[in-house]
Amino acid sequence: MRVITQLAWHAFRDAARGRVLYVLVPFAVLLIGAAWLSGQLTAGQEVKIVKDLGLTAAALCGLFTAVVLGVGLLAGEVERRSVYTLLAKPVRRHEVVLGKYAGLVLALVVNVGVLAIVLYGVLAFVAATESAEARRGWETPAVDPALLKACFLILVQLMVVAAAALFFATFSSPALAAAMTLGLYVAGHFNADLQTLEEIVGPGLTASLATGLSFVLPNLAPFNVTAEVVHAQPVPPGYVALTTATGLVYAALFLGGAMLVFSRRDLT
Amino acid sequence: MSRPDPLPGSGSDRPPAGRPAAPWAARPGLVVPILVLLAAAAAGLQYARGRAYEARPVAQTVLYVPSGAALQRVALSFDSALADLYWMRAVQHYGRTRRAAAAGRYELLQPLLEIVTTLDPRFDVAYRLGAILLAEAHPHGPGRPDQAVALLEKGLRARPGRWQYLHDIGFVHYWWLQDYETAAHWFERASEAPGAPWWLRSLAADTLVRGGDRRGSRALWRQVYGTADNPWLRAEAERRLLQLDALDEIDAYTAAVDRFARRTGRPPSAWAELLPDGQVGPLDPAGHPYTLQRGAGVVSVAPESPLFPLPAGPGATAP
Amino acid sequence: MAAVRLLALTKDFDIGFWRRRPVAALQGVTLDVAPGEVLGYLGPNGAGKTTTMKLLVQLLFPTSGSVEVLGRPAGDVAVRRRVGFLPEAPAFGDNLSAEELLIHYGRLFGFAAPDARRRAARLLDRVGLDAERRRPLRRCSRGMRQRVGVAQALLNDPEVVLLDEPLAGLDALGRRAVRSLLLSLREEGRTVLLSSHILSDAEALCSRIAILARGRLAAAGRLADLGLEVRGWELVVAGVTPAQVAAIEPAPERVTRADDGRCVIALPRSRPPEPILAELIRGGARILALAPQHETLEEFFVRTVAGREAEREAAG
Repeated sequence: MRVITQLAWHAFRDAARGRVLYVLVPFAVLLIGAAWLSGQLTAGQEVKIVKDLGLTAAALCGLFTAVVLGVGLLAGEVERRSVYTLLAKPVRRHEVVLGKYAGLVLALVVNVGVLAIVLYGVLAFVAATESAEARRGWETPAVDPALLKACFLILVQLMVVAAAALFFATFSSPALAAAMTLGLYVAGHFNADLQTLEEIVGPGLTASLATGLSFVLPNLAPFNVTAEVVHAQPVPPGYVALTTATGLVYAALFLGGAMLVFSRRDLT
Repeated sequence: MSRPDPLPGSGSDRPPAGRPAAPWAARPGLVVPILVLLAAAAAGLQYARGRAYEARPVAQTVLYVPSGAALQRVALSFDSALADLYWMRAVQHYGRTRRAAAAGRYELLQPLLEIVTTLDPRFDVAYRLGAILLAEAHPHGPGRPDQAVALLEKGLRARPGRWQYLHDIGFVHYWWLQDYETAAHWFERASEAPGAPWWLRSLAADTLVRGGDRRGSRALWRQVYGTADNPWLRAEAERRLLQLDALDEIDAYTAAVDRFARRTGRPPSAWAELLPDGQVGPLDPAGHPYTLQRGAGVVSVAPESPLFPLPAGPGATAP
Repeated sequence: MAAVRLLALTKDFDIGFWRRRPVAALQGVTLDVAPGEVLGYLGPNGAGKTTTMKLLVQLLFPTSGSVEVLGRPAGDVAVRRRVGFLPEAPAFGDNLSAEELLIHYGRLFGFAAPDARRRAARLLDRVGLDAERRRPLRRCSRGMRQRVGVAQALLNDPEVVLLDEPLAGLDALGRRAVRSLLLSLREEGRTVLLSSHILSDAEALCSRIAILARGRLAAAGRLADLGLEVRGWELVVAGVTPAQVAAIEPAPERVTRADDGRCVIALPRSRPPEPILAELIRGGARILALAPQHETLEEFFVRTVAGREAEREAAG
């Protein structure tokens, strides 16, 4: 455990040193700019737009971080061969996978956390500058705690993506692993379409294959509750719990696969 | 932290020992079943979540950007692919609403088609099939021939003089609005468009003369059937033709019912009274028995037949 | 008990994309390294030296045969605490400084933070990187990274040190520093397995030599027993005049003059160096070094292994 903690802390520090986390800054600026612009352009919609943009920014920015770091921390180290000296230390390979993943999750928490704070800040500013009358027209309060649910589920989704990136990175080149992770991300959002393919093409082999695939692939769309949160629709705690559990099990699955593959791999 | 203990038999400056050797990953016999178990758990949880929260309003997210023009800016150079994506969503929305237990209102169909055709103004099937879906009467569609015509007119603005759109507008007027004069006018225009097939001219003439009768309708649907370039439309045309056949057959059975009533002074109460060995009714062209309304003697297709409900519009009247 | 034991060690790599076929990198290598011994593991490029080193720290898994370090299998975590490893052309995470890297590795060895820091400082000093310890590794030269590599291999005060081409990529100054470091390792009684494709590196440092060629052990033993041929002599002198050099008859193969008046004179094998030395000393020159120039490992390989193969072919 001590080894894993040390590896995680080191991976996080390495990530923070790299430029990956700096993509946060343009997104934060974009958010503030959007708030200001939408205030000029749209009547009564600025809160919704800021929330939409903010949550989307957190998801996209996190996706970028998860893929770049998830792939770079392992495949990058293998390709640069910096992993050679590390693995000659008294660490087991699965501890390396776990440690890197923990560091990555820490980086993602910081990532989403910073954007959430900026988002709340911008929203508080919008709320403070608007008239009470305009505020009454909003569907949801500007500083809405429900946003935290959305942020939390985004984080869980990113944990799945990061685990997948780490898994793909254990047996392929960084570029290929990144491509596969993004592919999984896109496919994960089409999961609902796979399930309902039968409604379009009718029963048959294609539909059965699609349904089968929809069971295996992680369905990533349910992690996005932006629309619900923005439109003041309920996101029941049971939904959050079940979605989180699903995400964590998928993350564990990918991590287990990563540990299995990496532990047995020749590092040529 | 204290200074680590020296390793037995080595200098005191050495790092601590004591971690057991065999790594767990050396035993795939244990790891692989665990992974399989995890996979099953993941799929199971995902399934449970889908079951428990099926009512999650996916539709809300579909129209997240309600303006096709705005979406086009966001789409960068992927507008064509995005159009395909939205077309799939439109068809899905239609299919899902149609299959739902309580017939929905298809309220997203028109906006989705609008987005598709804005993203890709030359998306042929989105105009043609889209118009048919929009015009389809409730519960098979939203029953909005006006939106169908508007969509096709948008298509004409993108590709002026395309005879298919002109023909389809005429078709909507003919079948759904039963405005044969306007329909004939559009067929006429279509026949003058470049590349228009020969039969459009006679269709225009026929529509003027025999607008609304069953033979005219049959000719129209045969054309649709013969020229349909997608399976769904072909199946729909086939169904319409079968419906017209069913209308013919119902006319024949109704005549028999009338004769029975005239002879006995009351309508038949069951098919057995009318047909020598008819425990169940005769089969409609789709293979489902016709129903005979007890007491009233009205013959119609069964609600479970794919032909149900029969069109009340053009062609319902006997030739 | 041998400190390092290779037993019929064989490693195949599958190459090719569609039709994967095994290519043998190492074939049945059996070798013991005694405790306290400094063994030079030599061979031309591509002989399988790096493959052996990687098998010793289980970066690779053997196809067959076995690897033991300090009496335990190569993957044993407890044994890794007592082993130091320098890979060929070491690379490190770019965002860190040498000091941070060494502290991190020290923590992985289980040292408490202050201890890890102390060790890092001591080793950076020892490899001559004290001034650059805060510089990010991405802005370090190849030679500096090589020295960081040596430092991290000695961090845990290892009983067994595995060094893959420790002198490669170093300038003259760096080579001297690392050479003296290696000599001190020998004096401290550590077991060292040192790979190199340059014979002269091993000459000064190693008590025994194993020569690898095409994945097989071609020869092992003391350098003098291996039958390496001397091709000539290299003589370094100071304070000689051009006239003195010219007076060497017949003329030496090559004469290189340095700015500071030093002169490097290459003599062919056929010339015994002693009379020339006597002549030069009489003329007032100072003798700085005289070293035999052996044939290169490639030449040795061609002469012995390839020759044997040709014989076998001729016989069969």
